[in-house]
Amino acid sequence: MPAHVTVDPELCIGSGECVRLLPSAFRIDESRGVSVPLAGAATAAWASLARARGGCPTRAIEVTDANGDPIPGDAGGR
Amino acid sequence: MSDTGLLTAFSATIVFDRYEDIRAALFDPNLSRSFDKRSYEDGNIRSGIVSISHGSTHRARRRIENTQFRADVLRLYERELFPRVMNALLDVLIDAERVDLFPIGELLSVVLAARRAGIEYDAGSLDDLRALVHHVDVFSQGSAILDAKDPDAVRALVRRAYADFEREFVRPAWAARQALIDRVRRGELAESELPQDILTVLLLHRQDPALELDDGRIVREVATYLQGGTHTSAQTLVNACDLMFPRADHEDVIERLAADQLFAQRVVQETLRLRPTTPKMKRRAEAETEIAGVRIPKDAQVVLDVATANRDPQLFGERPEDFDADRAVDANVARWGLSFGAGAHQCPGRAVGGGFPVPPDFAVEADHVFGLVALELQAVARRGIRPDPERAPERDLRTERFTRWLHYPVRFRPPVSA
Repeated sequence: MPAHVTVDPELCIGSGECVRLLPSAFRIDESRGVSVPLAGAATAAWASLARARGGCPTRAIEVTDANGDPIPGDAGGR
Repeated sequence: MSDTGLLTAFSATIVFDRYEDIRAALFDPNLSRSFDKRSYEDGNIRSGIVSISHGSTHRARRRIENTQFRADVLRLYERELFPRVMNALLDVLIDAERVDLFPIGELLSVVLAARRAGIEYDAGSLDDLRALVHHVDVFSQGSAILDAKDPDAVRALVRRAYADFEREFVRPAWAARQALIDRVRRGELAESELPQDILTVLLLHRQDPALELDDGRIVREVATYLQGGTHTSAQTLVNACDLMFPRADHEDVIERLAADQLFAQRVVQETLRLRPTTPKMKRRAEAETEIAGVRIPKDAQVVLDVATANRDPQLFGERPEDFDADRAVDANVARWGLSFGAGAHQCPGRAVGGGFPVPPDFAVEADHVFGLVALELQAVARRGIRPDPERAPERDLRTERFTRWLHYPVRFRPPVSA
């Protein structure tokens, strides 16, 4: 099932953790210094998305299912 | 005034020593590092630096500074720049069978930290490098001011060091970079041609009000990155040896280190776990909050005992106090524990020193970053490092932090020409 992925640009600090963990789903927009989701994010494995979400140091990533509910997943990146 | 000499009154002091509780605290936006009220007054030695800024200012600063820690930059340093510089320096520094490892570690690390910070120095001049290391030592005392035994003396020392550092190292680099930035603004130079370093990005963006920059803050910010990039690496190099040398099999461990870069990286990460640079992190509650069911009143001091949390047997095995670079650790737990912090203030240079996380099966990708301290450890292992039983190491007793050293005598194989 496709996921809806967003990155809050106000919270993101451009650490690049999400890009390192899941380069098919995120890239850094160097003009703003923040991460943005790629088209590939929608079809990425939920477990990988959950890990990227958990690895974000500012909790800037949200991943929801078709109903708008957060996808399940661990606290990734502990 | 508190017993640490700070003009800070806390409403309470609350200590956490469990791994998940500390993580929750590090991610809580209500807890800041702005524990010293003089942080926001003119003349404070840490005024306005990224490490103690909070909220939107901190995030804006990190956005531009994190550009200097991208994976491709780390690989360039690790694979091309550092090995050449490191080996040339070691050839000069290991000039006898008996040497002090700590200053060697500082000199190795300061070369690249200075480059990343953006200051001008002569990499071939040991005098320049030693002057920088002297500044790093003073700035390190400033960064550990909450654990200093004589905080007022440290403040005076750090203020003098900032003035010297600015005059000798920052202003020449500043002038050169500002001239290049002016050329970019006149359309004479592409922005991509600018130097890649912290000073350049600060000067390039200094008019952005979100960054809250002024001249003094730029100097202190550059000093912060110089210090952070040097001190932890040098201390970790020494701590790794201090953990290995007492082992009966230390000769085998050193031989393995020399041959296996990934093992060297795990040694570094295990060292960071057992000997965190900041064993007890401190935060201040900007607003009332709750951590692990504990109410934290506004203006409380929250102490995060990372050294204890890093020895949680549920996360690191039955004998977490042992030095074991091959220990099994879950994929969701960093092998260095919480030593680099977590949340918004997570150390931006963690991959510089410690490399990327090592997966549980120890199978890393071709573009893996091993970290500079692993390279340093391998280099000294290949030169036959071993303990010096006749001379005792000396801890840095100016601080309560148990992980800091001043001198660490070691022996190497005699130089070939000897």
